[in-house]
Amino acid sequence: MADENKIGVYLCTDCGIGAALNVDQLEAVAKKEFKVPVCKKHPFLCSTEGVQVIKDDLNNGAVNKVVIAACSPRVNTEVFNFDPLKYVTERVNLREQIVWIAPKDEDPKEGIQLMADDYLRMGITRIGKSSVPDPKITEVNRTVLVVGGGVTGLTAAMESSLAGYKVVLVEKEAELGGWAKKMHRVFPTKPPFAEIEKPTIGAKIDAVSKDSNITVHTRTTIASIDGGPGAYTVTINKSGATETFEAGAIVLAAGWRPYNADKLRHLGYGRYRNVVTNLEFEQHVAKENGKVSRPSDGKSVKNVVFLQCAGQRDKDHVPYCSTVCCNVSLKQAKYVRESDPDAGAFIVYKDMRTIGLYENFYKTAQDDEGIFLTKGEIVGIREEPDTTLIIEIDNQLLGRKMKIKADLLVLATGMVSAMVPEEMSVNNLTPEYIGNIVKRETSDGVIEALEPESLMLNLQYRQGPEVPHLKWGFPDSHFICFPYETRRTGIYAAGCVRHPMDAVQATADATGAALKAIQCMELTAQGRGVHPRTWDRTFPEIRFESCTQCRRCTVECPFGAYNEKPDGTPLDFASRCRRCGTCMGACPQRVISFKDYSVDMISAVLKSIEVPEEGTFVVCFVCENDAYPALDMVGLNRIAMKTNFRFIPLRCLGGLNLVWIADALSRGIDGILLLGCKYGDDYQCHYVKGSQMANERLGKVQETLSRLMLESERVEQVQLSINDWDKLPGILEQFSKKIEDIGDNPYKGF
Amino acid sequence: MAQDTVFTPDVRFVRELKKAGGDTLKKCYQCATCSVVCPLSPDDKPFPRKEMLMAQWGLKDELIKSSDIWLCHNCNDCSKYCPRGAKPGDVLAILRKSVIQENAFPRFMGKLVGDPNNIWQALAIPVVLFLVILGATGHLHIPEGEVVFSKFFPVEFIDGVFVPLSGLAVLMFAISISRFWKNMTAGSSMKPKAEFMPSLVETLKEIMTHAKFKKCDENKDRSVAHVLVFYGFIGLAITTGWAVFNLYILQWELPYAVDEHALSIFGGSAAAAWAYKIIFKLFANASALMLLAGGFLVIKNRLKERAVETTTSSFDWLFASIVLLVGVTGFLAQVMRVTGFPAVLAYATYFIHLVLVFYIIIYVPYSKLAHFVYRTAAITWTKMLKRDVEM
Repeated sequence: MADENKIGVYLCTDCGIGAALNVDQLEAVAKKEFKVPVCKKHPFLCSTEGVQVIKDDLNNGAVNKVVIAACSPRVNTEVFNFDPLKYVTERVNLREQIVWIAPKDEDPKEGIQLMADDYLRMGITRIGKSSVPDPKITEVNRTVLVVGGGVTGLTAAMESSLAGYKVVLVEKEAELGGWAKKMHRVFPTKPPFAEIEKPTIGAKIDAVSKDSNITVHTRTTIASIDGGPGAYTVTINKSGATETFEAGAIVLAAGWRPYNADKLRHLGYGRYRNVVTNLEFEQHVAKENGKVSRPSDGKSVKNVVFLQCAGQRDKDHVPYCSTVCCNVSLKQAKYVRESDPDAGAFIVYKDMRTIGLYENFYKTAQDDEGIFLTKGEIVGIREEPDTTLIIEIDNQLLGRKMKIKADLLVLATGMVSAMVPEEMSVNNLTPEYIGNIVKRETSDGVIEALEPESLMLNLQYRQGPEVPHLKWGFPDSHFICFPYETRRTGIYAAGCVRHPMDAVQATADATGAALKAIQCMELTAQGRGVHPRTWDRTFPEIRFESCTQCRRCTVECPFGAYNEKPDGTPLDFASRCRRCGTCMGACPQRVISFKDYSVDMISAVLKSIEVPEEGTFVVCFVCENDAYPALDMVGLNRIAMKTNFRFIPLRCLGGLNLVWIADALSRGIDGILLLGCKYGDDYQCHYVKGSQMANERLGKVQETLSRLMLESERVEQVQLSINDWDKLPGILEQFSKKIEDIGDNPYKGF
Repeated sequence: MAQDTVFTPDVRFVRELKKAGGDTLKKCYQCATCSVVCPLSPDDKPFPRKEMLMAQWGLKDELIKSSDIWLCHNCNDCSKYCPRGAKPGDVLAILRKSVIQENAFPRFMGKLVGDPNNIWQALAIPVVLFLVILGATGHLHIPEGEVVFSKFFPVEFIDGVFVPLSGLAVLMFAISISRFWKNMTAGSSMKPKAEFMPSLVETLKEIMTHAKFKKCDENKDRSVAHVLVFYGFIGLAITTGWAVFNLYILQWELPYAVDEHALSIFGGSAAAAWAYKIIFKLFANASALMLLAGGFLVIKNRLKERAVETTTSSFDWLFASIVLLVGVTGFLAQVMRVTGFPAVLAYATYFIHLVLVFYIIIYVPYSKLAHFVYRTAAITWTKMLKRDVEM
């Protein structure tokens, strides 16, 4: 829509703005410099009367772009909400980031007035380059594909069906129920979480089998998944026969498999017949219907030793805690005791971890006089001629070694994500995509490259066939901020494939993931982004005529939204996109832009700043998810800051285009500070890799700087989390000081 | 110290402990709060954390040999602060009972007295014995006239029963204690650093002043009660010895009439005879009152603590009740005698009193009272090891 710009600027003078700033001068900036058709002052803009002033101008057609120069864009969002499909709204943050951080000793009309003038210029420039979105509305298929038929998959299917959605459930085994179906008893699932219970998985299987909304495919694997949210094309392999159908979103509930105990020979596994894994023990007890006997000769048992963390929390085997084994062993100790009231169950643990209300279950087991618990480890094991085991343990609570004559040693081996292939070591997986490092012959010589393996989803995505993992084969998601999200929009991981958990947690997980899948389909149907920019109807648009097929966008997109044509031209799937703008920042040709966000727009914003001829002057590119609210918090706490900074919010630091650095420096700006989120294993970036991408790009900025004959220290990236807001004034002060020491930008005044 | 023998937990022992009143012992999760708050626990290998674990694991042999459990004076600081309600104070008390029972000679006596369920059998022994003696000597009737207890149960008979049986009890006690001493010293991994005698003297001094007991923060009142019972017992023991002296050396019989024989003892001075008699009676009554008051306080304190941090075992309850009853019946018997109560009631009370006295004196190696020797021995040993906390 090439609408003509009819910009209206509305200046609020409340909340101390009018007292601290010369609003007349701001009016002059709008009217004289930008010649906006409408510019109005209001003493209380967020009041009904104030908003009505704006609405009247919109309704009579005098204005189609609204600049509100008042408070932070993070507040009063409902008040200043005008039809986003008809009008563009831009907020200029005079209150939190100018008036409320005004230095107390300075002449108030000096520094902060310059700031306010600039922010108004930046806001008007920005809105001049924005237009209303033209959402991509497509036909959306509302079927949820659930991968895996265990507790998690069954729950996800049931919950989706209950919410009124069609489900296709794919299970590779012959029957539904997963591991849960193989249990003799389960540890507590309901208050008071104190006694073992009979498994209830049967009821769940029945419910799913009888549900007309759910189609179940057993003995089935996925041959390929193409497309994106709302429009996946799924091809399944059903015992050799292929079938293709459409789906709208995917719940990945592939579950877990036990760690390969063959690697635990040092604990006697594979050497002695009476050393078994907890899963083998469970299945044996289930088969014998509660009777506990030893595998070597079927004799009933008197003493059973349980070793916790067998090969777990061990860098050579499973480096993490599987969280359920302590409860499993307590449950199995109960089998031993119920099988024979005179039998003893010894549990040797590194730490007893029965989280939350499972403490009650621990207490129940502890109260049993035949259950003996100690922190410790096994230091020796041998077999008597009659296959009884002599296990020497280091009882670290008693501070002594003791030998126990045991009929059975049960190893609490852990859970490994079903994403990890059987033959691979969970502690030594290739980064991001599970696969193999292969040597390839290229024109540049032999290079080592990662060849990702197809494991279960077989996505026809340019970046790889599966969802990326962070480590240990668990699909990467920020487990606090957005638990079920994977790095592939529309695919939500739940249950033990995501991280080790018990059935109660997996049930909650499945419900959450099902809801996420539903949200995704519904938002996609409206042409909107999914978490975190659910309001956003824009999407990246590419000027293909200028594309050089450099593949930066298809490589750097944190969500694998782009496929590639054979020649390298990006092929975008708007529904896979999260609207972070990382591709826009990556593009050296600057051909990717959004309706209200573009490289050209920020370049123009930089040009609109009036760089003072004297003194150090810094521009900050600020992540709007963490760093920008942190700046607001500095204002809320009325902490004074220097006024030689200008903050430019970005959707994500990943959208940083290097051309802006050159633009800023050639404008005579002395320093550029990038305020983004933490990256690395414990990243906080809302778009997973945005801040990391910005940092990688920054490595290449040296070139630009040396071409301009400038010091590389003039550009710096800071990792900031929102709770570090109080450190911000110090960070800015320090950077300013550093730039001052380097000296003025030689381009100043050109 | 690695045990080469295969470890087998004594589940029966764990069950016994739980049944005897240590039902909370499995609740312990080894946080060691108890060892930290205990004012009597040594810095090195402190109790009662390790004892709780050993009890959970059924390490009976080692617990029976432990000297540490006797350092505990059951002040229940540990039980009060225990985050899990495991009541280490109670568990240690039960363990001490088990030690008395395990070292008892002969073993069946330990079982008879140690298990409160056997109380009626234990009391039946003196009842039957006394009835047989009274029957055989033709005394099984209420004597006519003024209430004089020796008319009902002549002193010679009492002495005839108590003197030889006490001797036997002392012998049995000596065997039990030497067994305990041998087990304890052999079971210790540490070598003594001090001599026996100085350690014993130091221990006795501490007991006299109740120095350890006073270190307890919680339940300070308990040390007062214990002091009263303790000195009440000593006073009554002296009274008994004194009475034996009066009877057999001075040949002065109860109720100590100031007659010619008496005058002959005191060189013809009736005043001296009266003074001697009054001092004796005062001493005896003061001791009895102390026992009575102490016994009363013990029960009162236990009732007060009961709901809060301790559920005192029936073993302890039993003995506390018997101590109080001895005091009450002894005192009542005297009051009834002096105030001319119906003779039947006075003699019956006296009979009950004698039965209870029998329980206390003759059963001393097996009852709760045995702790005064076990504890003395154990503290002496810990002082020899220099393991004891400084007073």
